[in-house]
Amino acid sequence: MVSFAGVLLAGLLLGGIYSLVAIGLNLIFGVIRVVNFAQGEFVMLGMYATVVAYTVLHTDPYLALVVVFPLLFVFGMAVQRFILQPLQNEPMMQIFATFGLLLLLQNVVLAITGGTSVSIQTPVSGLTVAAGPLQVSVARVVALVAVSVVAVGLQWGLRHTMAGKAVRAVAQDRRAARLMGIDVERTYMLTFGFGAGLAGVAGALLTPIFTLTPQIGGNFILAAFAVVVLGGLGSVWGAYIGGFLIGITEAFAGFYLDPALKQAIWFAIFILVLVVRPTGLFGLAGAEEMGLRVQE
Amino acid sequence: MKAATRVRRFSDELPLLGAVLAALAAAVLLEAGNNFALNILATTFLMAGLATAWNVIGGFGGQFSLCHGVFFAEGAYLTANLVLHWGISPWLSLLPAALLGAATAFAISWPAFRLRGPFFAIATMTFSEVVYVLANYFDGVTGGSQGIRVPFRAGWINMIFPSRIAYAWIMLGFLLFCLAASLYLLRSRLGYYLQAVRDNEAAAQAAGIDVLRTKLWCFGISAGMTAIGGSLFMMYVRVVDPPTLLTLADVGVRFALIALIGGVGTGYGPLLGALLVVPLEAWLRAALSASLPGSNLVILGAVLILAALFFRQGLAGALTGLFARRRAAPA
Amino acid sequence: MSALLSLRGVSKRFGGLLAVDGVSMDVAKGELVSIIGPNGAGKTTLFNLLTGQLAPSAGTIAFRGDAINRLAPQARARLGFGRTFQIAQTLTSLTAIENAMIGGFLHHRDLRGASARAMAALELVGLQDRAGVKGSQLTLSERRRLEVARALALEPEIVLLDEVMAGLNPTEIGHMVQLVQRLNAGGLTFLVIEHNLKVVRQFSDRVVVLHRGAMLAQGTAEQVLSNPDVVEAYVGKSRQ
Repeated sequence: MVSFAGVLLAGLLLGGIYSLVAIGLNLIFGVIRVVNFAQGEFVMLGMYATVVAYTVLHTDPYLALVVVFPLLFVFGMAVQRFILQPLQNEPMMQIFATFGLLLLLQNVVLAITGGTSVSIQTPVSGLTVAAGPLQVSVARVVALVAVSVVAVGLQWGLRHTMAGKAVRAVAQDRRAARLMGIDVERTYMLTFGFGAGLAGVAGALLTPIFTLTPQIGGNFILAAFAVVVLGGLGSVWGAYIGGFLIGITEAFAGFYLDPALKQAIWFAIFILVLVVRPTGLFGLAGAEEMGLRVQE
Repeated sequence: MKAATRVRRFSDELPLLGAVLAALAAAVLLEAGNNFALNILATTFLMAGLATAWNVIGGFGGQFSLCHGVFFAEGAYLTANLVLHWGISPWLSLLPAALLGAATAFAISWPAFRLRGPFFAIATMTFSEVVYVLANYFDGVTGGSQGIRVPFRAGWINMIFPSRIAYAWIMLGFLLFCLAASLYLLRSRLGYYLQAVRDNEAAAQAAGIDVLRTKLWCFGISAGMTAIGGSLFMMYVRVVDPPTLLTLADVGVRFALIALIGGVGTGYGPLLGALLVVPLEAWLRAALSASLPGSNLVILGAVLILAALFFRQGLAGALTGLFARRRAAPA
Repeated sequence: MSALLSLRGVSKRFGGLLAVDGVSMDVAKGELVSIIGPNGAGKTTLFNLLTGQLAPSAGTIAFRGDAINRLAPQARARLGFGRTFQIAQTLTSLTAIENAMIGGFLHHRDLRGASARAMAALELVGLQDRAGVKGSQLTLSERRRLEVARALALEPEIVLLDEVMAGLNPTEIGHMVQLVQRLNAGGLTFLVIEHNLKVVRQFSDRVVVLHRGAMLAQGTAEQVLSNPDVVEAYVGKSRQ
């Protein structure tokens, strides 16, 4: 059936977007064990930065990536160093702080832009390509390709670079890593910076697709949580595949049931996974300690 | 000879509670006739009560709930429906509202309380978002995005009054109820169990405490109180819609913020927080919102971050610290 | 006299690792049994099996004749198990007496009864003068004793102590030994994990040695500590 394939394709492309947002979140979750409620806002900042680069400097969004990533990387490092590091042993205060960051970022942008929505038309926006009987948005395909590249690159980096190994060590056992001479605080800063940078990259890639409002972060954050939980904490492939699974589920539910149900889908998946299989599809064993119950 | 150590009982809390009540009542009497001030007072008392209710599970229990807006909305919608479609006095809807709120809390407790800290926050936040969508969807019950409106028909039975002072008294009554309930809980077996669970679940289990059941009861109590607040809110403003009731920044996070600023986990912290935040926010909104939309939320966000970093003990903590130092310092 | 606590062929496997290997032992009412063994012997895992934090992969744990293999920690506390933690889990926002009261509430639902029981427990451990002090302000030795007090307030039949001497100075150790001996003399059964062999010698009725998850030897302190296999387990094979 054409509509079935169309829905599947839509789901895949949507999933690519979710994966893109979730990979950064997953990195932060899995390593630093902190819930970054403001991750959606980092994506939003990436989007607005891209728009600024486009309108002021006439840079193509895909090139603006090169600037957006370091910008958000540094911002992320600062957030980790000055807001989250002092609150390392106070999980409730971390929730307050990242939520406060969410409100702050969202409303600063709101105040600056005066609440009007923005969209930019790049050469790529609106461009579609025929795949059989279906029309496929090129920008979404680019996003899908990009997340695949990021996933592969990140996985390679974690496995084969010194920094990556340090990150994995810290994720598994913070105390042991410190005893081995790894600077845990610096690793956390780099990780959070990287996660924020990835969110910025997601924002840049999504700019040709969406109309921007300051609240757009909210569209992604809950789905991203569901993705991370489904895929499993600390697993890059988990976030990658989880995004597609959720995108496809959402597309089918939206088509055959009701599009308004998408939040319900995220919630149902979130709860189901945490109750039935807390480690997610590909999660690391160490993930149990974070927010989950170990039942014997 | 050992010193006899009496453990704090609820009866020990009554003098201070009475004094606080008297002071707030005096404020109401002082402002009688000033509708603007009475409005602020009524809102402050309501928010203080709601923050106190949140504090039961958020502060005493250490469970960061972001779905208290759901219970709030349930109270409002239930009362509106009972009044509009069944002609029942809103006073009689308070108990059903509390029960509905508690039942909802029980229902989501089983999956939600298997999750620690941040995951509990995410789950409750998602739940709140789902209910927001449902509130827009089931417009037969909620009036959908148009909202629901209770027409003005003054009278004691209708809980509708032309002057604001009656509302100030009602909200003060609600605050008293919430404070009393929360202090009673704090000094009871359940309250101690809840704090033990918050401080150290493993130790609590080793002491024979059923962790899930403890959290469940306290979540239910917290939800019931919040639902009552929602009912009263419905009769106070007489028109509500999903954004008013369920927007996280305005409702769910607001209760938590007030509790944080006042002192999470203390008895009177939420009240202190409300006394500071509500009037301040009203002023900010009036002064700034016209020129810069959303600027009051910018300040809210910044305050949340700063409070989490530097002001963890809240106003209550600062005050008790002040008194402790006074007592320790030589004359 | 049938055993209060009895283990039959208790094993615990973590994936490929056999942490506890077919341990069988009894603890009779009123005994003080110490479990010793070199690091990695499986003492902590065995302890967690007894407290209910883990369930055994094989074997039976029975309390007063009834199997309790899958019983959760809070249920075991209600049956009569008291326990301390290796790192004292003091409830920092509560005072000492309130800490103990958490245990007292088990058998006394009202505040008065629970606080009386708590006070009695504090007196037993010598913390009655610190009753009103907040948990966060107690010293390590006081927190250790508070742990014991909280367990005592449960009115337990058996108390499991997990390295309760760790980190204490010689005077504090002496006090703790005296406390345990006094309570034991009063009829309270103890199962103790302990590194400090001097202490083990002082107060144990019986000593069980674990090595690589299995029971290596069992007997009085004298018997066990002079057993060459035990010495070798601790010190390693002597070079030829």
